[in-house]
Amino acid sequence: MTTLDLKGLLCPMPIVKMAKAIKEIEVGQTLEAVATDPGVMADVPAWCRSTGHELVTLEKLDKQFHFVVRRAQ
Amino acid sequence: MSAKIDTALEVLQKQVNQPLVAALEVCARCGICTEACHYYQAEPVDEHMPSMRAEQLRQVYRSKYDWLGKLFPAWTNAWPLTEEKLAMLAEMAFTKCTLCARCTINCPMGVDTPLLMTAVRAMATATGNAPEILEMLADAAIEKGRDPSIYLDFYLDSIKEMEKELQELTGNPNARIPVQKKGAKKLYVALAGAHTILPAAAIFETVGEDWTLSIFEAANYGVFLGDASRAKAIARRIVDEAKALGVEEIVISECGHAYYAMRWVAPNWFGDEFTFRVTSLVEVIADYVQRGLLDLDPAANPEAITYHDSCNLGRKGGILEEPRLILRAVTTNFRELTPAKEEAYCCGGGAGLVANPDVVDLRMLAGKPKVDQVRRSGANIVVAACENCRLQLGDLSSHYGAGFGVTAIADLVVKAMRLPGAKQTVEASMTSSVNESETVERP
Repeated sequence: MTTLDLKGLLCPMPIVKMAKAIKEIEVGQTLEAVATDPGVMADVPAWCRSTGHELVTLEKLDKQFHFVVRRAQ
Repeated sequence: MSAKIDTALEVLQKQVNQPLVAALEVCARCGICTEACHYYQAEPVDEHMPSMRAEQLRQVYRSKYDWLGKLFPAWTNAWPLTEEKLAMLAEMAFTKCTLCARCTINCPMGVDTPLLMTAVRAMATATGNAPEILEMLADAAIEKGRDPSIYLDFYLDSIKEMEKELQELTGNPNARIPVQKKGAKKLYVALAGAHTILPAAAIFETVGEDWTLSIFEAANYGVFLGDASRAKAIARRIVDEAKALGVEEIVISECGHAYYAMRWVAPNWFGDEFTFRVTSLVEVIADYVQRGLLDLDPAANPEAITYHDSCNLGRKGGILEEPRLILRAVTTNFRELTPAKEEAYCCGGGAGLVANPDVVDLRMLAGKPKVDQVRRSGANIVVAACENCRLQLGDLSSHYGAGFGVTAIADLVVKAMRLPGAKQTVEASMTSSVNESETVERP
């Protein structure tokens, strides 16, 4: 699984980086990412919904936000 | 003619009104716009002349709307729209113009090049020629409005966490961040993330403001796309929220395009539904400063500090004096960039460029005049009341090894308020504002 470090990035850069990284994996594979900006808690689910990617997990651990997204078509 | 070209010309047709025709017809070929453009300042080649950019659309316009152009295209430099031409126009409008309007205010005829480039962006978006990332960001924002339940629980949890930080920052265990409070006077629309919520909340809390936080973010990527439908859908979320809560005023975070769109464009979209005032957080803070509601210690910010005017907030939005009023109250060593205010140079990251990972080199080039200005000023901190500008300025500082920090107005205000937890909050905010939009290389 590819892990993307989004720590320290502010909106909209987490989504910009995610959109770029997810193109580099195959359909059905997952992308794991970690961010520190709480804005991802709203942005990532909305981005997944609008693009069709599956949000597998999204959780807060300490002061970091960890999420896993499965690439759709 | 392909379906794509038909669509592009239909979109152009819908936009042909008096302002657009004026911008297309009145160019006197004087070339004054050339020196006004930050792209041209950075790289003096013909393609960076605003008049040259406008001419690309004029060629298409003449071939379709000018009878002489239809009959004798070679005499009038009229060119029919082709797919190649459309792709070239799209690339130009989305990457080689930041819609900053510096050319417009320097043009003796007032040719509105941003209006022309926005028309091209609309044509490009309707035909699948827009940068994909801008469409993604716009669509994600619309999705939030369609079904807030997909993120609301997460969002409210993160606000609760922020509330604890606010209590530490203010030293007040009863400090709150009210979300969607009915009947509040001001609806504050932040950007995604704590950095635009926490400082504003500390200021509102300190002055005893009757405010509430929106569950939506202020950014509107539909505007960058020139896509009125998407832009209106994104603004609609906030308008409906404001109506449901019965607020008197929508306060937009320190974000240039979000303020410009909601203050100057959205009232035309919504007409009688738009019953509230729209202000920038900068105006609200300036009002508090003028009324003496904040106890400020300018010695808290002794560094050499300058202010970068966001094009949307300043030249296009009219907020020129308020930031300076605030900065003079919260700093001891403020200095202006030259030129500034209406004549300020764009940072090179506006109009969606900072979100487009494919144009990093170009925006670093376009930001060179801004870096030169900052260096001449001797400032080691640049304040910007716009998120796009802050991201771009941070990248520029890193790329050119200029060594200046970047921060927001509200951060400096909080620091000057000498709140118990201010130091850590502002330092964290400044660190996160610098060098963080893309990995940029030094030349």
